[in-house]
Amino acid sequence: MSKVGKESALSDEELVASLQERMDAERFGVLYDRYAERVFQKCIALTRDRDLAKDLTHDIFLKVFTSLKQFDHRAKFGTWLYRVTHNYCLDHLRKQQRHKEVELEDGMAGRLVEDDPNELRLMGMRADRLDQVLAAIDPTDRALLLMKYQDGLSVKEIQEVLEVGESAVKMRMMRARERAMSCYHELFQEGA
Amino acid sequence: MSQNPFQIIRPTDKPPETLRKEVMSSVKLVMLLMRFVQLFMADYASSLFDKVRLLGDDRKDTGRKTGRNGPPD
Repeated sequence: MSKVGKESALSDEELVASLQERMDAERFGVLYDRYAERVFQKCIALTRDRDLAKDLTHDIFLKVFTSLKQFDHRAKFGTWLYRVTHNYCLDHLRKQQRHKEVELEDGMAGRLVEDDPNELRLMGMRADRLDQVLAAIDPTDRALLLMKYQDGLSVKEIQEVLEVGESAVKMRMMRARERAMSCYHELFQEGA
Repeated sequence: MSQNPFQIIRPTDKPPETLRKEVMSSVKLVMLLMRFVQLFMADYASSLFDKVRLLGDDRKDTGRKTGRNGPPD
């Protein structure tokens, strides 16, 4: 079996462990091939700009390469990469827009309801309108909604990505839905 | 039941072919830089070690001549 063929048979974690031992461009190329599409598409979804997504994907893989030694194997490599991608894109968007994150009050978490009517409204939205709403809302809210409804991440997985508690995830999700719906009403009056 | 609209708008674009080349050449450049840094650090450490050893020898010699273990701190 050729070197690359042999490496393609390794799991992500085995590949990362061998890269942590000794850096090797070819072996890193195998990781790139496995994840480039997912990272690129995630960057497009978050930034809504194909050229910017290309630059960010390049930078994210470079960042991953230089910080591979920090990966402690506690989470899956895919989850870690997802977190790096998410944080990198949002940092970039925040710098661009001088975005100010609104901290949510923990005390409000008790008011959370699982069956938020806004979830049903979002799911019933026309795709083209949803696309416009996502373009208009804050990147943090957009990222959160995409994580749950596009990438299908569970609350626990979102907790891992954002490194926050369960109630904070639910609270932020509820607020993101509220803001998306209010944006929808602003954009499409008849939706009100 | 209607399809999840988030799935309808999911990007399906493939990364450009040139991107792999760009990433790999950047990775190779970073590796090269890391090796240079390691080389410099290794040499710097060993030459620093040599200097300290030489200084230690000098102190011993001075101590022998003056009857003390080198100048006071």
